[in-house]
Amino acid sequence: MSDYIKPLPTLNDENRPFWDSCRAGKLSVQQCSGCGHLRYPISPFCPRCLSADFAWTSVSGRGTVFSYIVFHQAYHPGFKGELPYNVALVQLDEGPRMYSNIVGTPNDQVRIGDAVEVVFERATDEVTIPKFRLRAAD
Amino acid sequence: MSHPLSGFGAISGVGATAQGKLPGSTALSLAVEAFKRALDDSGLRKAQIDGLLTFSGQTAAEGQQNYLRLGETLGIDPRWTGTMYMGGATAGALVQQAVLAIQAGMATHVACVYGDAAATGGGVFNRSQGWGDPSSIWGYMSAAANSAMTAARHMALYGTTSLQLAEIAVACRYHASLNPDAVMRKPITIEEHQASRWIVEPLHLLDCCLVSDGGACIIVSSAERARDLKQPSVLLSGFGQGYTMETLGNPDWWYAPHQKRAVDDAYAMAGVGPRDIDVAQLYDNFTPSVLLWLEHGGFCKPGEAGAFVEGGRIRLGGELPVNTAGGNLSESFLEGWLHIVEGVRQMRGQCGPRQVKEAETCLVTGRGMALNCANALVLQKG
Repeated sequence: MSDYIKPLPTLNDENRPFWDSCRAGKLSVQQCSGCGHLRYPISPFCPRCLSADFAWTSVSGRGTVFSYIVFHQAYHPGFKGELPYNVALVQLDEGPRMYSNIVGTPNDQVRIGDAVEVVFERATDEVTIPKFRLRAAD
Repeated sequence: MSHPLSGFGAISGVGATAQGKLPGSTALSLAVEAFKRALDDSGLRKAQIDGLLTFSGQTAAEGQQNYLRLGETLGIDPRWTGTMYMGGATAGALVQQAVLAIQAGMATHVACVYGDAAATGGGVFNRSQGWGDPSSIWGYMSAAANSAMTAARHMALYGTTSLQLAEIAVACRYHASLNPDAVMRKPITIEEHQASRWIVEPLHLLDCCLVSDGGACIIVSSAERARDLKQPSVLLSGFGQGYTMETLGNPDWWYAPHQKRAVDDAYAMAGVGPRDIDVAQLYDNFTPSVLLWLEHGGFCKPGEAGAFVEGGRIRLGGELPVNTAGGNLSESFLEGWLHIVEGVRQMRGQCGPRQVKEAETCLVTGRGMALNCANALVLQKG
């Protein structure tokens, strides 16, 4: 039994490679075998060429803060103990964007445009969650 | 050459129930009450309604079969019907669908109906969005989150401030203070906005809409038939829709660029531009939504809406009165249905102390499902 109380992904054939990759310390996204487009969130089809063929490919985990907000209200009981907590929309260098949290920096010292890199936080035996920390700009 | 649909349709009746916390009411009872009021407003008899378009909202248990439930309850066997679910973009989309059906000869008088007991009947606004892995893994939840992301980026790119967002909340509340049917009527100040607690930073509590019980009904007819009915004619001079379906996949999603396409199409059909708009009802689930609509509506340039709303410009008596009944922020959160109702009443000249003098053209916008769905109507005095 885990004492992790925040929402978790429901692992299935579609998303398991993403989460397995996180557990191994790599951020991976789908790359369309038809047109090469890198996509996230996970989807069975390429939104550009509609191909169903893809391969999981690891990305650098580097990016920038595209937008950034701080929750002062918990919409799930698992977050009550962490208020206020931040959510960032991260622009990955390779193109896709994803929601995540910025860790290791006080909420009021994160700025849109800041350079970030992925870190991994183990939640349960099965799930390790990708988060981001500030890094020196390139 | 004028567009063949411009001014073909008209809104011949509107009705709204009481709004707010209405214990004992249900989505069904509110929809029926709104329908009765709109019917009475129009002077039509129930037997003349041959189109029924509905929105199932948060609390109608029958969901997408809402049109069946309402048809049965209202005793209407329509020639044209359906239920659509686009959140705050539904009302405008249904009105547009009604015009298309009437123009095609598929219906004569179409009632668009909505009732919801979101405040007392268990409305849920805290979900995470999207498919597959939920963004709630990272705590990205609630209706406020998307607007907060928009506001934060608008602030970072353009220097927009929370004080400017406050101007929107204060203007809407002032208008609500002049509206006896509004839920929140006590005027607020910029300072009170700033002192209200954070919900999702950069949004304060007073940047957020209400959660309400209520119902509304909008009856659409051809302009030709509407002319012979009880109320002054309000023409649907132009309309348009736009969507951005990819959320994370589209780097511009936060800015809702499809809203500009919706307004531009509506302007083009009506043969008008932003300078012709006397009053605007701009969808305001959260204050940043109004910023985007002002920019997409061409009232100012991209990035300039923060400055635009300063100095009372969007208040009654200002250059562009916005949300003259109080909007979702202060009148009632009815998913934008009351924005259309208010637009119609402004064009009829029925708004009493909040009437915009000599108003002849009104822009009404709707948006829903986070930022994804949008539409615009240009209403004109007939």
